Parts: sequence; C-alpha cells; structure tokens
Amino acid sequence: MIRSACLGAVFVAACAPAAAGTLSAIVTDAGGAPVADAVIYAVALGARPAVAPRPAIMDQVNKEYFPLVVPVQVGAAVTFPNKDNIRHQVYSFSPAKVFEMKLYAGTPAKPVVFDKPGAVVLGCNIHDWMVGYIYVVDTPYFAKTGKAGSARLEALPPGDYQVRVWHPYMKAEAALLTLNLAEGATGDASFRLELSAPQKVPPAEK
Amino acid sequence: MVLRSLQTRIIVFFVLLLCILQGMALFLMSAANERIAKNQIAQELVVGERVFRRLLEQNSQQLAQAASVLAADFAFREAIATRDEGTIASVLGNHGRRINANVVMLADLDKKLLADSLHATATQSTFPFPTLIESAQQHGRASDTVLMDGRPYQLVVVPVLAPIPIAWVAMGFVIDDSVAQDLQALSGLQVSFLSRSGNGSWTVHASTLPSASRGELAAHLGVPGATLTLPLAGEDYETRRSILHERGDVQITAVLQRALKEGLAPFTRLRDTLIALALASIALSILGSVLIARSIAGPINRLAGVARKVRDGDYSQKAESGRSDEIGDFADSFNYMLEGIFERESKILRLAYEDTLTGLPNRAMFIDRLEQAIQASRRSGEPVVVMMMDLNRFKPINDSLGHPVGDQVLQEVARRLRDSLRESETVARFGGDEFAVLLPVGGMQRATSAVNQIERALASPILTQGQPIDLGASIGIAVFPSYAEDSTTLIRHADIAMYVAKRNSASFTAYEPDFEQGKPSQLSLLGELRSAVEEDQLTLYYQPKVDLRSGASGSVEALVRWVHPKRGFVSPIDFIPFAEQTGYIKAVTRWVLERALRQCGEWHMRGLDVKISINMSARDLNAELPVMVSELTARFRIPLPLVCLEITESAVMEDPARALETLERLHQLGIRLSIDDFGTGHSSLAYIRKLPVKEMKIDRSFVRNMVADKDDAVIVRSTIELGHNMGLKVVAEGVEDHAALMLLTKLGCDEAQGYFIAKPLPPEEYEAWLRRRQEIGDKLTESGFISDRRP
Ligand SMILES: [Cu+2]
Repeated sequence: MIRSACLGAVFVAACAPAAAGTLSAIVTDAGGAPVADAVIYAVALGARPAVAPRPAIMDQVNKEYFPLVVPVQVGAAVTFPNKDNIRHQVYSFSPAKVFEMKLYAGTPAKPVVFDKPGAVVLGCNIHDWMVGYIYVVDTPYFAKTGKAGSARLEALPPGDYQVRVWHPYMKAEAALLTLNLAEGATGDASFRLELSAPQKVPPAEK
Repeated sequence: MVLRSLQTRIIVFFVLLLCILQGMALFLMSAANERIAKNQIAQELVVGERVFRRLLEQNSQQLAQAASVLAADFAFREAIATRDEGTIASVLGNHGRRINANVVMLADLDKKLLADSLHATATQSTFPFPTLIESAQQHGRASDTVLMDGRPYQLVVVPVLAPIPIAWVAMGFVIDDSVAQDLQALSGLQVSFLSRSGNGSWTVHASTLPSASRGELAAHLGVPGATLTLPLAGEDYETRRSILHERGDVQITAVLQRALKEGLAPFTRLRDTLIALALASIALSILGSVLIARSIAGPINRLAGVARKVRDGDYSQKAESGRSDEIGDFADSFNYMLEGIFERESKILRLAYEDTLTGLPNRAMFIDRLEQAIQASRRSGEPVVVMMMDLNRFKPINDSLGHPVGDQVLQEVARRLRDSLRESETVARFGGDEFAVLLPVGGMQRATSAVNQIERALASPILTQGQPIDLGASIGIAVFPSYAEDSTTLIRHADIAMYVAKRNSASFTAYEPDFEQGKPSQLSLLGELRSAVEEDQLTLYYQPKVDLRSGASGSVEALVRWVHPKRGFVSPIDFIPFAEQTGYIKAVTRWVLERALRQCGEWHMRGLDVKISINMSARDLNAELPVMVSELTARFRIPLPLVCLEITESAVMEDPARALETLERLHQLGIRLSIDDFGTGHSSLAYIRKLPVKEMKIDRSFVRNMVADKDDAVIVRSTIELGHNMGLKVVAEGVEDHAALMLLTKLGCDEAQGYFIAKPLPPEEYEAWLRRRQEIGDKLTESGFISDRRP
C-alpha cells in the first residue's frame, strides 16, 4: 500500500549547465486530485552546504492557524503573530518541539526556534479546534504545494537528492525518491498520497 | 326448594339475577383486566426499554462528555505527553476520581495499553476493547457495556487531543445496584443486569429486585425481546430482556420487569370497589326486594284474608287502603266490590226474605221460621200456631182509592200487626192483603189472645188522605202438630180455615179436617175452574122458591153446579170463595148471568114467567154489572122484574159506597135486589135500610136450627118482622123439614126454599116439578100449607 502510494516516476533531465537546478513536484491523492499543503523536501545525499535557516511566520487568523502547514529548516525561528482580537495560547506536545506559550495577543516578542526535525502539531489551549503544523526539515530545500498540488524547489546545486513528501493527513510515510539533479537541470517528482480525513475537533465557536 | 310465596319468589329472583349479573360482570372484568394489565405492562416494558436504552445512552453520553472534558484538560494532556509511566498512572487515577470513574485506562494510537488503573502491571498489553477505539476514531468517542473481572462496566473511550489524537483514554463506570436503582427511578421498571459466557448460566450483577428474586431471575431468564411472565419469589413479573453487549461469547443483558401485581393494582382497586358496590347493591336489592315483595305480597295476603272472611259471610273487614299505587287502587276496588257485594247481598236477602212494601218477612222467610219452629216443636212438644189473615173489604179499597192508598193501608196494617204481637212471634205478608202469623209458643190459648189483640189493633179506622177506613180481618188458625206434619200442610190448613172464617163472616176459625173432607185441593180447583168456564163444565140448577101464602112457585134461585170430568160434582162452597179470592168470580158471574137470563128468556118466550134470582159476589158489585144486566135482559127480551140479584150483606159491606151506587143503578133499571145471608154480618139496619132492596133472605144457618133452637127461632122471627117493617119480602132458605116450613109460615115469612121443597133442579126437571106441583096442589092445601092464605 505504501509502495503503491509512492509510485512516482521520476525523470531527471540533466541538460542544465552547472548552475542551480530546479525540482518540480506534483502531489495527488489516491483519486488523482491535487493535494495542497504537502511539504516536498529534498535532502542532499552528498555534501551539504551550510545555509542559514530562514525564519517563518505562523499566523492565527479568525481562530485558525494560517497557513495550515509551515515548513521550516531546522533551527528556524518561527513567530506566531495573533491577528485576532482575542488571545490564543499556542502549544505543542510533539516530540520534535514541546512548547507552550502564555496567552498572548499581537505578535510575541520571542519567536520559537525549532531545532529538531519532525512534525510539530500546534494546538491552542483555549480553541481546541485550532490545529497547525510546523514541519521541520533538516535541509534548506523544501517547498509546499499549492492548490494545484505542485511545488517547485529551486536553486538546488547539482547532486544526488532524496526527495520526500509529508502531509498532515497522510496515512503513512510516503516512499522517498532519490534523484540526481544535473547542473541547471530541472527534475520532476510526483507523489501520490493516501490521505485520511483531517482529525479535527469541530469548533464550538468561531 | 319450592318457592311458594310471591314474596320469596320476588326476592330470590331479583337477588339471583343481581348476583349472576354482578358475578358475570366481575368475572369478565377480571379476565379483561388481567389481559389489559398484561398488555399494558408489555407496552410499558416496550416503552420502558426504549426509555431505558435512552437513559443508558444519555448516561454514556454524559460519561463520555465528562471523559472528553477530562481528556482535554491541559495538565492531563501534558502529563500524558510526558510518557512517564508513573505520572500517567497518577494523572489517570486523579482525573478518573474527578468524574467518579471506577476504572481509567490509557492506550496509544496503536491500541497498546499504556496505563490501567485496575491492573497496574498490565502495561504493554493490548487495549482489551479495540473495537471501542475504532468506534471512537470514527465518532470522536465511543461507549459500551463491557465485562471486566466479572463485573459489568459502562466503558467510554475518548481521544486525548493535542490537538490531534495522541492517545485514547477509556473510563469505566461499574454498573451496580445503585445504577440499577437510578434507572428504576427514571424508567419505573425493575432493572437487572446479567451476563453470561457462551451458553453458561446467567449471573446477576446488579438489580433492583430483592435478593431472593435475583437467583430465580438468573435461572428463569428467557429469550430476549419477548415479553414473558416470570414468577420470582412468588410474584409474577412481566419481563423483557434488552441485550446491551454481545461480543464473542460474552453476553450482557439488561432485564426490565414490572410486577404484574403493580400493573393490576388499579384494576384490583377497581375490582375491590366493584365487589364492594356489588355486595352493597345485592344487600340493597335484598332489602328493596323484601320491602317491595312485602308491600306487594303483604297487602295481597291481607286482601286474601279479607276475601276469605267475605266468603264466610263476614263483611266487617275492609282491605287496607290509602296507598297511592296499584295495590292501593286494587284495595279500593276490592273495597268497592265488597260494598257492592254486601249491598247486593243485603238487597237479595231482603228481596228473598222481606216484603218490600211493608218490611215484614215474606212467605219464604215465614216458611223458614215455621220450619225452625216445627223442628223446635218436635223436640219440645210445644204446639206451633200458624194464623192466616185476610183483610175484609181490602179489594174495593184498593180498586176505588188506588194502589197508593192500598199500599198505605197495608203498611199501616203491617205496623199494627207487628205492634200487637210479641217479638218472638212472626208476622209475614204473603202478598195482596194476605198476612200470616207464626206463634211459636202458647198454642191455641195464645192464638185466641193474639186474635183479640189483632182485632183490637184493626178496630180503629185507618186514616188515609183524611178518610177513615174500616178494616176487618178473617183469620184462619192451624196448629202443629194437630192434623199437620209439615209447614206446607200447616199453612194450607190455616188458609182453608181462613176461607171458612171469611165465608162464615167469623173473625177467626180454627182448622178442622171437616173443612176439606174428600174435597179436592182448592188451589188446583182455581186453575180447573178457569177451564170449566171455558169448556162449559158448569151448569145451572134452579132451586124453586114457594110462596108461603099462595103455595105457588113462581121464582127460582139459579145455582151454579160444576160437574168435574174427574172429580164429579163439585160444590159451590168449594170453589166460589176461591173464585172470589182470585177475582175469577167475575167470569163465573158473567157466565151464570148469561145462562140464567138465557133460560129465563126461553121460559118467558114459552109463556112461563119465572122470577130468577142470581147470586152476586162483592166483586161483582161494580159499574159493569148494571150495564151487563141491561144488555143481557135486552138480548133475551126479559121483563126486568123477572130478574133478582142476590147480594150478601158482607159483599155490600166490603165497599158500601160502591155497592150502594151499583145497587142504585140496578134498582133504577128495574132489577129486583135481594139481601142474602141476612144476619151473619155486622151491618147496621140503618145502612140496610138505605139499600134499594126489595127482598131479604134469612140465612140457612138460622133456619136450619130454628125448630130446635129457641134463639135461632127468635132471630128468624125478629128478622122476618124487621124485614116486613122495612117493607121487604122475607125469604127463608135452608128449609129442610116440614116443621121448619110450618114455623116459617106461622112467622109470616113470605117465601121459602130448601131441600124439603125442592133441591136445585136442571131446567127441564124444574118444569116437570112445576107441573107435578100443579097436580098435587090440593094435597098441599090439605096439609095446611096455604091454609092461612085462604081467603
Ligand atoms: Cu487560540
């Protein structure tokens, strides 16, 4: 099942010069429909250039985390600006990052640094239905699919990469994909995921 | 039992009827009630099961809600997230107690048991109810009734959300008696929880039933879903099973029950009320029936009693009345009937035994009393006297003054008779002017004094319409046991004696057998006389009279003779009085008149002028007589002086005024009149003098004995002198010997008749006698018969 779900035909064209390569990925669900909010990330199998992690923002808008999924590189600092006029109390019991913020309004002064790879499920202690995901990857090359189910990883140095996909609703770990990306080439990857229904507590108020 | 009396039947009928109806109603109602109660309980159980299910569901919802709230507790989640076994165990225990969970378990998302408050060592095993987790995955929470360590629990499973599920918390609540009681309070049913493994025996875990019934319940439990009746500890329960859990070979079931008694309770109360009502109504109906039956049967019985009295002739009792119902009407009608019967009976008795005009006893009653007196006389030997009395001159009073006056006279006579006799003596009126007297004691002596009393009583004239009426009476006396053995004969004897007295113008006569020796019964004679007149059995004989001076015989007295076809010769004495009594004498007289005048006419035509004397009775002296005589004399062309009518003194005296008038008419016609039987009556000479008579007859009773009896001779002599002084021709009758004839001649009597001269003769024999007499005329002269007449 897992295997069948990860049947991805990967074709890498190495026609590009020794310039940075690009990886274009498509994620569909079992029915072939495009899947948004899937995190595509590529881990270089060879030398890993040190790239400083970029900070990220997980907004709380209208008593929901926005966006649903925020992919970050290990060590990235994420701020949680509260755009609502009420307070939120963000927490996570995920092993990748256990934290709890005090009730706050506006943007907290200190961002949260995510220093371990893995999925961090965000909850709000006073709004049970609020669920957000910080997906922490140990690579600077990652992207999130849009509504069309596609994502594009750019400025990838040539080399071999493991390409992985993660989605909060996926039923099992998807098969990873290994590809060699030539200089200036564009690699294609496609994933098919089996998703379960989102496990959400229905909002009591909103 | 034979229900004889109406009362008993009414009571028994109504009470039985009521008992049967009430019994049937109760029986039907009880049967229907039990059915209704069972149906109702079955219905209640079905509804109760739904309620029970709903309650269980709500219970589990509440438990799940509570568990969810608990699982959402941040500290709890934080503790879970620590994955520290000790911490987890303590937070489970702590939070479980918050909602009174009896067991709390934690499983990871792979259904691995992380903690178990019941079994501290049982980690790393699998969660025992994985399907609950699967159900909770789908529905957010799940609950079930499960068996753990042999006890039933209501187990709820909820996720631990952070905010997505990170673990499953199961919280169990043991089902014990208090849970069952809570459910009973809400459902109104007996609630029991049982379980079994496979087809093993049931175990009761919790129940609202008394402990004694629980074991029986486990033993008797039947098929689920069906309502059945289970007897538990002597009480019937309508029972319904509701399966709560059936997985593998474990089955947990709830048993819902309701005691049939409870369902029947309202009906039982109703039935008890109805029984009480039925008993009360039966008692009332018995009372009512008794009262009604008494009110019907009582009066009817009393009416029957009165009717029995009436049957025995006692009219003194009346049916009780005054009620306004049918029985009251009946009693009133009954009383009217009694009065009617009583009045009619009295009237009938009066009519039967009383003379309505005078109020005296009638013939029937008289005979009754006479019979009694005769009976008494037979024992005591005391003679019984019967007196028959007949008023003289009543008939003309009645005829001339009218019946009302006649009735008044009779009433007055009755009153006087009654007053003049003793209380013990009976005076009865037999009809007409005929009275009878019964003297039960005293015999002839008393009879004589009674006659005197009666005569005195009737002596003073009776005043009617201001007119004094003189009444005389003829009394006949008969004595029992002389000559008579029975009442009929006795009365007949008195009757005969009365006629004799009347005929003899005596105030009374005692019966003697001579009166009717060998004579036919007078009563039958009356009937036969009628046919004698019609069939010409009567004949006229003519007794010659001779002139005592000339010795010539130029006149006869016509005497009626009756030659009865069977009896032969019947004397006028035997039938004339009775003919006078009945009034039939008129017919006889008419016949005699016609015959005599016809004969006279015949003789006259043949040159033989015979003066003919004809006897008239009192009844003949009416206005018709002159008419009839003039008509007949005209018809037979008779010179009127040839006709002489003889009238007795008593006949004239019965109705002197009318007699006088009639006689005057006859006199004016030129008819000769003669006073018959002179001397027997009490009429005064002054009155006789007024009568237009030419002739006077001396009664035979004086003539017969005048030769032997000086007194009679004096009477004859003075009568002849009297007659001559009054200018009358004196005729003597009853001359039976030569001495009498000689004496009469010597006394100057004008004419004589009698057997010595000639007996009554048929016409032709008279003619022969007349011729013969002419021939022997000398002989008579020689005998000095007419010597004085010789010039
Ligand atoms: Cu919030």
